[in-house]
Parts: sequence; C-alpha cells; structure tokens
Amino acid sequence: MTTQSGPPAAGAGVIHDIGYRHYQGPRLGRAAIIRALGWHSLRSAFGIGRGAKAKIIPVIAFTLMCLPAVVNTVAIARGGGQIVYYDTYVFQLRVLVMIVFVAAQAPELVSRDLRSHVLPLYFSRPLHRLDYPLAKLGAFILACLALLEIPLLLLYLGSVSQAHGGAEIWHQTRALIPGLLVGLAWAVLLAAIGLTLASFSARRAYATGSIAICFFLSWALAGLLRGVATGRGPVTGGAGMADAGARLSGLVSPFTVLDGLRQWLGGTSPGPVPPPGGYGPLYGVMFVLLLAAAAGALAARYRKAGIA
Amino acid sequence: MTAPVPAQFGPLQHGPLQAGPVPPGGTGPGPGFVAAVIETSALTKRYPGAVTALDQLSVRVGAGITGLVGANGAGKSTLIKILLGLLTPTSGQAAVLGLDCARDAERIRARCGYMPEHDCLPPDVTATEFVTHLGRMSGLPPTAAKERAAESLRHVGLYEERYRQIGTYSTGMKQRVKLAQALVGDPQLLLLDEPTIGLDPAGRAAMLDLVSRIGTEFGISIVVSSHLLGEIEQICDHLVVIDSGRLLRADTMTSFTQVSQVLLVEVDEGTAELEAALAARGLQPRRDERALLVQIASGDTYDLVRDAVADLGLPLNRLEQRRRRVEELFRDGAGQDNPAGREGGA
Repeated sequence: MTTQSGPPAAGAGVIHDIGYRHYQGPRLGRAAIIRALGWHSLRSAFGIGRGAKAKIIPVIAFTLMCLPAVVNTVAIARGGGQIVYYDTYVFQLRVLVMIVFVAAQAPELVSRDLRSHVLPLYFSRPLHRLDYPLAKLGAFILACLALLEIPLLLLYLGSVSQAHGGAEIWHQTRALIPGLLVGLAWAVLLAAIGLTLASFSARRAYATGSIAICFFLSWALAGLLRGVATGRGPVTGGAGMADAGARLSGLVSPFTVLDGLRQWLGGTSPGPVPPPGGYGPLYGVMFVLLLAAAAGALAARYRKAGIA
Repeated sequence: MTAPVPAQFGPLQHGPLQAGPVPPGGTGPGPGFVAAVIETSALTKRYPGAVTALDQLSVRVGAGITGLVGANGAGKSTLIKILLGLLTPTSGQAAVLGLDCARDAERIRARCGYMPEHDCLPPDVTATEFVTHLGRMSGLPPTAAKERAAESLRHVGLYEERYRQIGTYSTGMKQRVKLAQALVGDPQLLLLDEPTIGLDPAGRAAMLDLVSRIGTEFGISIVVSSHLLGEIEQICDHLVVIDSGRLLRADTMTSFTQVSQVLLVEVDEGTAELEAALAARGLQPRRDERALLVQIASGDTYDLVRDAVADLGLPLNRLEQRRRRVEELFRDGAGQDNPAGREGGA
C-alpha cells in the first residue's frame, strides 16, 4: 500500500512513492505459522474466503446435521420424549452428511495446492516438511468436529431449555459428554482418512470420487455382511457363525468401526452393528489401526511430495 | 573420471569475487549478514539412478546480484534447492548467510525468498490474497502481511490487477506475482530460478529490469539463474557458471568481459585471402562470422596484420583488441580454458 509520507502541504490524496522499505516488525515463529496455516485451512474447509459456490456444500451439510436437533426440540415441546440420542445422533444421516462433506471439502484443503504446485512455496518458508500436513489435518479435524458437535450442542440446549429441574439437566449433561467424545472419534478418523485419500490426487474430482467411493462401498459392504450373517442375505450360516459374523461385520467400514467402538466403550443406544460383545476390543484396535495407517500415509506422502 | 574441479577454476583462484564490488545500497540489511552470501564446498548431489546433478561444487558468492548460469540440467535448480534445505546433498557442505544448510535450514528459509522455475500459482484466488497468505507463511503478523503483500505487488508493478484472480493474468503478470511472493517476507537473499522463462522479449527486459532494481535499490542480494547467458549478464555483478554440476568459472562480471589477448580484424572483402596471408605469416587466424581473430603473441602481431592487409590492398574496416564475451565461456571453457578437465574426461 502506498503510504502518504510527504509534507502536509502537499495536500490530501497525493500518493508518494517512498521506495522500498525493509520490514522492521516482529517475525512469528514456526508454531505461529502452523497455526496461521491451520486457520486458513479451517476457513477454506467451509468455503470462507472463497466464492459463494464454495459455501454451498458446507452450508447444506451443516443445515442437514442440525435438523434432527431442531426436530427433537419441537417434539419435546409438544410433550413427546427424547427421540434423538447424543451418542448415535441420527446415524444414517450422519454417515451420509459426513461422506458428502469429507469427500467435497478434503480436496479443497490439499488437492488444490497439489494441483497448482504451490507446495514449493510453503516448503521454501520456515515450515518443516510435516508441518504442512499437520496443520491441514488439525484444521480438517476441527472442521469435522464443528459439523458433528455443534448439532449435539443444539440438541443439548433444546433439551435443557425445556427440562424441569436440576436432575433432568444433570441427566442431559451426563448423556451429552459421551456423545461429544463419539463425535471427536468420528472427526479424527474421518478427517484423517479423507485428507489422506485427497492428498494422493491433484485433481479435485478424482479426490472427491475416491473418498466417496471408499466410504460408500465400505459402508455398503458392512451392511451386506451383516445381512448375510443374520440370514437376511442370500447365504445363511450356522447360528453361532451368524452371530459372530454379524458382530464382526462392522470392521470393514470406518463408520461401523466407530459405532462398534462406541458400543464397546459403553454406548447403549442401538446402532448399525450389533453390540460387539467380546469382539469389542477388535473395534478399538481397528480404530487405532485405521487412524495410524491414514496418518502414516499422509506423513509419507508429504515427506516425498511437493518439490517438483 | 576427471579431477573434480581443476584448480585453475577453483574459487580460491578468483579473489576478486570475494572482494567484488558491492552495489549501491547493497549493505548488509540485518544482523547475521556476512560477506559471503553463499558458500559451498565440494557439494555433491546424486539422484537415484546414478544421475549426478552437482559434482564437487565449491563456490563462494558475495553480496549483490549473482548470475547462476548453465545449460538446462546443469544443476542450477538442484543447487538452489539444496541452499534452501529442500534437498539434502549427497556429500559436501553449503552455507547461506553464514548459516549451515543442513542444520539451520529453517532460519535460512526465514531470510530467503524463493521464486521457483515452474508455475506455482493457484488460479482462483486474487494476487493480494495469495501473497498475503504467503506473507503469513513467512512469519509476518496478519496486518503486516497485508501491508507487505500490497507493497510487494506494487514494487513488481501490479496495481489494480492485484484484486483480480490470478487465473486471468498473462504470463508476465504471473511471473511478477511469483516474484512478489518471494519479496513479501523482506528477505536478505532472493533465489530466483529462471525468472524470465516463458516471457516474450519485452517481458524479459521488464523482468530483468525489476530484478536489477531489487538488487541495487532495495539492497537485497540476489542469485538469479538462467540458461541464457546473454540475458542475465546485463544485470549481474558476479557470474557463476556451472556445467554438468561442476563449476566452470566464478568471477566478477568485469573480469569476464575484460580485454582479451585476441585481435579482431575485419575487412570489407577478401577475408579468405587475408586468412591465407596471415597463416602464411605464421599467425593462426580463426574465423568469427565476418571477421578474423588472431591471437596476440607480441607487439609485432599488430604490424604483421597491418602489413598483410596493406600487401593485399584490402579495405580494412576494424582492427581492435577484443573484449571477451561471456558466451565464449561455454565454447572456450570446454576447450581452451579447461583442457585438462575436458580431455581427461573423454
């Protein structure tokens, strides 16, 4: 920006070229740069700072996610009971919205930079190699968290606003906390998988497609396996095998892994997989494995990529 | 293989570079500034597949504008990336602004601006947004990043256009944005990798003028790489010539173009007769387009040439001791200047 530095006598509106000025102010360190990149990425996950088109999917996703909370509040107000639970929310809707959101927005964070070969510009700045994926992952986890937790908080506010007495508020609060933790697990796992898949494609459409296909197919496969095991599918096995098969069917999809994990850790609301029972720890292990694989692949990707 | 760097062309032979002229305003802009902006010793980079990009490169670069010249694939980009700590050398050391490239890469990158050779701009953001963001990535606080982005864009000659999306820019404007993002963090050293690539002659001249202004008026040291020597020799104080990853020569610009021991004779007609006559007199004339070049052995050489021309009665156009042209480095560097290294390698 040109600065007005001439004598006041020169009059207002006169622009003086004062030449090059060296920067004397403070310089922020690496941690602050990572935070700035994270903030920038978080904004772009919701299309903020981009055109109106970039905001369509985030806005629709957010609105859809909040609907059950509103419906629940209305139901309670009309004298009905709680119809939406904190730990499962509305499972099918949540799966659908998260698939769309992650598939559409993860490429926004990483594929664009790959596409325009902008990474050398990041890596020629004080950032270290892994700072970039770290900031992106952190930002995308926060974005998913917002999408998952804000509806829960709305649900809580809606329920509490019509609660009678402290005991009921306490009851709601105690139910909310596990719900928030489940949301955290969802955000971390889905963001990591989505961002990693997106980071392998510079073309947005391919990245979106690969994420959507991975999520949808595994989700459909889990449903199919459960159907097969419980005898609703084309093949039927023995009773014991069927039971074990149904309990294990959730291991093939991130969404059912998340729900198996929830039930193993004490979630009681009915979910898409039968209570895993003795197989519960397997869901815990699978969650950790998926997360580690996604994070590891993301790190490996950026250790190599970018200095084209 | 050959000896890595013939001693004759080692950096120690070329004292003038270290004491090279510092351009006006080229004083050290900040703490940590040392006389040698870049120093490498026996720097080697081999890529998988036995491709040697840099071979025992030892060079010292002072303040001012330094041209880094070599054919495509000579190792220029590799050198720049090692200096920024983006690539790890196979062996050898490098230091930038007195900081070791292996240990202090983060601090080096905080003080350097880098303009890559290839396209690196997203099409769907405005230049202002983009440069501001990269200013933040250079460690500037939000307000400072905005101010410096606007200033940098103004310095490279982008005014109202900066509010337009980069995708709508011409190649020349994109190159300016690339330069602006390198400048936004107020670096002590700019590393510009082929800044004129893809530009038309007018665009090239404008870009070179800009680089020259940044180097002289802004007091920022610059290393500018190019495969076109004639282009950057106009704006450089020093020149580093590399070929196949090895140092061909590093020196001040003036010493490159100093008077050579070669006499140039140009006649309007009868060049062939003159050539034969000179050869008959024991000189070894070489053709250089329309003129003849004769090695000056002693003061007698002038007389011999004059007599030969007079005897043949040819119209003499020019008789002058020639200035070296830098392009000859490549031609002569291989044969005349560097016989040991070349022939040994063959």
